[in-house]
Amino acid sequence: MFPVDFSYARATGLEHALALLREAATAGCEAKVIAGGQSLLPMMKLRLSAPELLIDIAGLDDLRGVDSGAGTTVIGALTTYRDLQRAAGLTTAYPAIGDALAVLADPQVRSRGTVGGCIAHGDPAADLPAVLLALGAVVTITGPAGTRPVALEDFLLGPYATDLAPDELVTAITLPAPATGTAYEKFEQPASHLPLAGVAVTIEVRDGVVTSARVAVTGVASKPFRATRTERSLPGLPPPARGPGGPGSPRGAVAGTPGIAESMAESGLVALSDQHASGPFRVHLAGVLARRALDRAADRAAGPTPGAS
Amino acid sequence: MPDVTVDITVNGVFHRVDVPARTLLVHFLRDQLKLTGTHVGCDTSQCGACTVDLDGVAVKSCTVLAAQAGGHQVTTIEGIAADQGGGLHPVQQAFWRQHGLQCGYCTPGMVMAVRQLLADNPDPTDDEVRHALSGNICRCTGYQNIIAAVMDAAAVLREA
Repeated sequence: MFPVDFSYARATGLEHALALLREAATAGCEAKVIAGGQSLLPMMKLRLSAPELLIDIAGLDDLRGVDSGAGTTVIGALTTYRDLQRAAGLTTAYPAIGDALAVLADPQVRSRGTVGGCIAHGDPAADLPAVLLALGAVVTITGPAGTRPVALEDFLLGPYATDLAPDELVTAITLPAPATGTAYEKFEQPASHLPLAGVAVTIEVRDGVVTSARVAVTGVASKPFRATRTERSLPGLPPPARGPGGPGSPRGAVAGTPGIAESMAESGLVALSDQHASGPFRVHLAGVLARRALDRAADRAAGPTPGAS
Repeated sequence: MPDVTVDITVNGVFHRVDVPARTLLVHFLRDQLKLTGTHVGCDTSQCGACTVDLDGVAVKSCTVLAAQAGGHQVTTIEGIAADQGGGLHPVQQAFWRQHGLQCGYCTPGMVMAVRQLLADNPDPTDDEVRHALSGNICRCTGYQNIIAAVMDAAAVLREA
């Protein structure tokens, strides 16, 4: 199995990559940028994608690495999942990223796949976009006119569709200072490891009350999205009770809050339905996962429990 | 479409080869270099039979272009033993001792993935081994003896 034939160009630097993109756009040539290729190459082998030119940016080492400072964290677009797992302090500061990396694809794919590639690919069922949405990530896009920041939720437009123009590149992802509690939960399709549903949560808890929350869902609709109704229902509530032995409902106060379906209706999104799972089942899974993720995020917001593992 | 010139070092030997841009690394290794120890299983990035070492990290060579590997170092199953004249790497020896294979089709990829696992985590638990091999599929063994082989190899390599 191999792709439709194409031309291959290796970019020697950011300016060169942008020039190659510009040339292709001017010539009306369909070009795709390749970094790790872990999403693009499988699609090309299945002939779902047949670009005329591949521009390889993997050598642009300036776009690789994680830089934490002054509250925010900047992740270079070419940082691989493996790099993220090994970046000092990153998964401690943002545990939801660690949750996702542990269940995302497999080690070999994580060694090649890049964060920028994942975002730019626009797969509606990728794990990381949900986590980055919940964390409030901003995408840095570089093009002929320089760089522009776009909030990830404005960047993701639909299945394999993003705000990226043909002559632009994703160069970095910026995360704001970590919230007090974050978590990611998924239910995967066992062959592809892709989520049938995945939910990421960040919550701020102060004096035993949820002050703000972000809940993001992937695998369920045409793009990863924020569950806005669920988010709005959480502030003012006590955080989910800790563990089955805790006070109140083991699943906490969130059990009765407006859910995923209401959020999707509000955003005009329709549930995906395919041979792996029906739309209603995906929405149901997302609700269950949201409660689990909220529980875990709340536990983390509360800090370590004496005697708990 | 013009061919791409690929400068690549495989198992310590430098090659300069012109290939069509769409040539996958696994086909380059098997068809051009005749290194047929690297297998094509699913061809969809799921089974891991094509796992090789690219710049010191295990990757699936059915999902890497030969052109992307240009300028880089590749190690295949043929190149991992210290004695390349027929000797076996400690991970291969452990698979042999523990009968960690039946038909053997997945084995080169398993060995390459295990080599990475033990480089990252020299003393893994059973669970960690199963998790680290989630990108490698075996349709014969039920994995039990593969896990035994990994634990055996880990013990040997820790003492080495």
